[in-house]
Amino acid sequence: METLNLKSVMLGVLALAVTAFAPLAAQAEDKPTLIRFAYPGAGTGGRPQADSSFIATAHLQGALEQEFKNDGIKVQWTFFPGAGPSVNESFANGLVDFAFHGDLPLIVGRSTGLKHKIIFGASRFGNLYFVVPADSTAKTLADLKGKRIATFKGTAGQLQLGRVFEKYGFTEKDFKVVNLDTDTTKASLATKDIDGAIISPFDLQSRGVAKILFEIPRDPKVTSVGSVWVSEEFEKKYPSSVQKVVNAFVRAAAWTSDEKNRDTNFKLWAQSGNISYIDFQKTWNGYTMKERNTPLLDDYYRFTLQKAVDESRRFKLIRRDVSLDGWIEPKYLQTALKEQHLENYWDEYDANGNIKKK
Amino acid sequence: MQSSKQWLGAGLLALAGAAHAAQPSNEELQQQIQALQKAVDALKQQLQERSPTLSSASTETIAIPPAEIATKSDVEGLRTDLENYKYDQQRNRETKTALATRGTTIGGTIQTRATAQSPSVTTGSSTPANGRSSSFDIPLASIFFSGSLYRDYAEGRNLDYRIQLGYAPQSPAANNSNFNLQDAYLRYSPLPTKTGLEDPKLTITFGQQLLPFGLEVQTGEDLRPTIKSAQFLTTTGLVNRQIGAIVQGDLEPYVDYGFNYRAPLFQYAFGVVNGSGPNKSDDNNAKDWIARVAFTLPVDYYSLFRELKIGGTYYKGAKNVLNGTTIVDSGGKGDRYGIDLYYNHSPFGATYEYVQGRDDTYNAVTKKIDTITSRSHTATLFYTWGEQWLASSKSQAKFDDWWPKSYQLFTRWDQWDPNKDAANDKITISTLGFNVFFAETTKFQLNLNHYAYENPTIKSANELLAQFQFGF
Repeated sequence: METLNLKSVMLGVLALAVTAFAPLAAQAEDKPTLIRFAYPGAGTGGRPQADSSFIATAHLQGALEQEFKNDGIKVQWTFFPGAGPSVNESFANGLVDFAFHGDLPLIVGRSTGLKHKIIFGASRFGNLYFVVPADSTAKTLADLKGKRIATFKGTAGQLQLGRVFEKYGFTEKDFKVVNLDTDTTKASLATKDIDGAIISPFDLQSRGVAKILFEIPRDPKVTSVGSVWVSEEFEKKYPSSVQKVVNAFVRAAAWTSDEKNRDTNFKLWAQSGNISYIDFQKTWNGYTMKERNTPLLDDYYRFTLQKAVDESRRFKLIRRDVSLDGWIEPKYLQTALKEQHLENYWDEYDANGNIKKK
Repeated sequence: MQSSKQWLGAGLLALAGAAHAAQPSNEELQQQIQALQKAVDALKQQLQERSPTLSSASTETIAIPPAEIATKSDVEGLRTDLENYKYDQQRNRETKTALATRGTTIGGTIQTRATAQSPSVTTGSSTPANGRSSSFDIPLASIFFSGSLYRDYAEGRNLDYRIQLGYAPQSPAANNSNFNLQDAYLRYSPLPTKTGLEDPKLTITFGQQLLPFGLEVQTGEDLRPTIKSAQFLTTTGLVNRQIGAIVQGDLEPYVDYGFNYRAPLFQYAFGVVNGSGPNKSDDNNAKDWIARVAFTLPVDYYSLFRELKIGGTYYKGAKNVLNGTTIVDSGGKGDRYGIDLYYNHSPFGATYEYVQGRDDTYNAVTKKIDTITSRSHTATLFYTWGEQWLASSKSQAKFDDWWPKSYQLFTRWDQWDPNKDAANDKITISTLGFNVFFAETTKFQLNLNHYAYENPTIKSANELLAQFQFGF
């Protein structure tokens, strides 16, 4: 037997190390240790909770945590009272992998260079209530010309307000548009420091501090779509984890869309304190859970997002154009729908917000 | 009730009428009953099949309490609880709550420090003293009150105030300390502050306040990376608060709505002050003037050049030139010039500040007034791990007292030349530092300072400082 020399031993150890760590390295490529999901909002008093969509239900039910439990991957939910712009700031600093976003911050972020892929839709349709202080003498929006209207600037609410102004032949310049978050808007309606806002009205009405000036019941041209995206970097590195995230959310969307869970969802969402249980009952009246909780990236989704891009440009909220080409990645959603046999569970909607005939 | 009875009666009549009209045979009736029985059985089976699914789906996530109707006693119980709560609130407010005439914010900052140095020193201790190479100190303790004297809920044209009292060691050192008035001012915002980021800002401040000079003077203890401030602050007197009126504002802000990022293209400040320092009347009949402008690059938040700012400040000072205790000239020059560059793109950043002082001094030899020009260069580089400076992270919704733990490494080069015409008088302090931000208002700082003296007769010195700074 030849005596082992030092070089041979070293080579042997190196070979062993390579063999031992090679599978780990391969595994590490496709498996993150942490999945960071950002949500543009929070409950009253800084509660880390969401509401109003299957994203909130998924959080409250621990859908993602369940999905990744066996992989040993941690899930981190972050709730930003600073809404969509805060999600963008966090993402720009490399702290977010997935996020839910309303249209305006999503579009502005994209226009300034944030790199993400939209992987499914979340939340659409709904009633819109323009609320004024209880003793307001205004009868129409025209009566509020030159008055103070509140919106949370930089969020989807600002774009929605722009659409409402445009619908009635006004622009933002016809009013004094002030920047307030939801809690402050409610307080300011009570103290009459603002003259109007788009907000859920019923808890304010029951307190006797505000009333509805007008309601836009169902207008798919005024309401917008929510989106969930993944960072391009994460998608490139961990496509199978992206698929699992989408799987979990699609499962949650289906559960939320089931009418038998309607009341349970409202109770879950009301935990955030932003919108009361009664408000959910009233504002969702006339809508199926399915139509408002569809994750589909259908014609209505694409048309509405493109419209929002055009409006953002027209209202001078973005300085550069945004193209939908290469931005929407539907393959994960399609796979999840197929695997869960949900291909025909949700109706597809056309550009006008009507169910597409099959 | 009457109405429902009527409907019930009408329904029964209709059923009776329908039965009478059809007149089915007994067999047909039997068949109908059997069909109905089958339908009921089928429905029962469906319900049994669905119930486990329903309950498993629900119990996996949350337990839904059965529907209950509140009784009169329940409502009365709730009302009692509410009344008790109202009483407790009122009682606590009257007996256990600090009340203020106006809505007030109370805060403060304290520093506790340990120092090791070589060679040993005697400064800051009572005399006579032996040289020391280490010491524990409380270099700072301050408390402030601030709030609105008039709050404009509609547009935010508020009239605010601030008063700050700060501890300072006595000089010469004694067992006691001074507790001096530092800030004492009114501040009015003539422009709306609630309309949004795209609108310009403007404030008018009257009273005792910091000067809007450059970067270091205006940087609070909570933001400054170093434990000790740049040399020029004390040597030029710019560290002193002044009494007067100063207008500050900005124009043409560049707003990136996607990030709520605001970069005012043009910032300005101008004002008039005594120039004699804090808590004193003016010491001559000439006022000091200050003017500052700064430009920030109008780029998006995501740009590499965000928060790139260049500024310049001019302070026109009038001082009493003394020959001993005699005033030779009450309008002597005490001017300050400054240029500053600021760049902060998390995680890294850099600042540079050049300050020049021109001071008239009586020359006892020539019996003339000379103008001495002093100069200062201060450059700082820093890198931060963590989310300390991200507004979104700091405002995250959390149930607990969470704060983004952050670590900052920095280096500073600070040179002071008290007289550009004199040789061998420059002092250069090089600092290597590490800051740990581990709670919202608390940080731990470690600084290693090296003092290099151009004067060959003075030995260079080293100093290691470890400090907790905490606020409330």
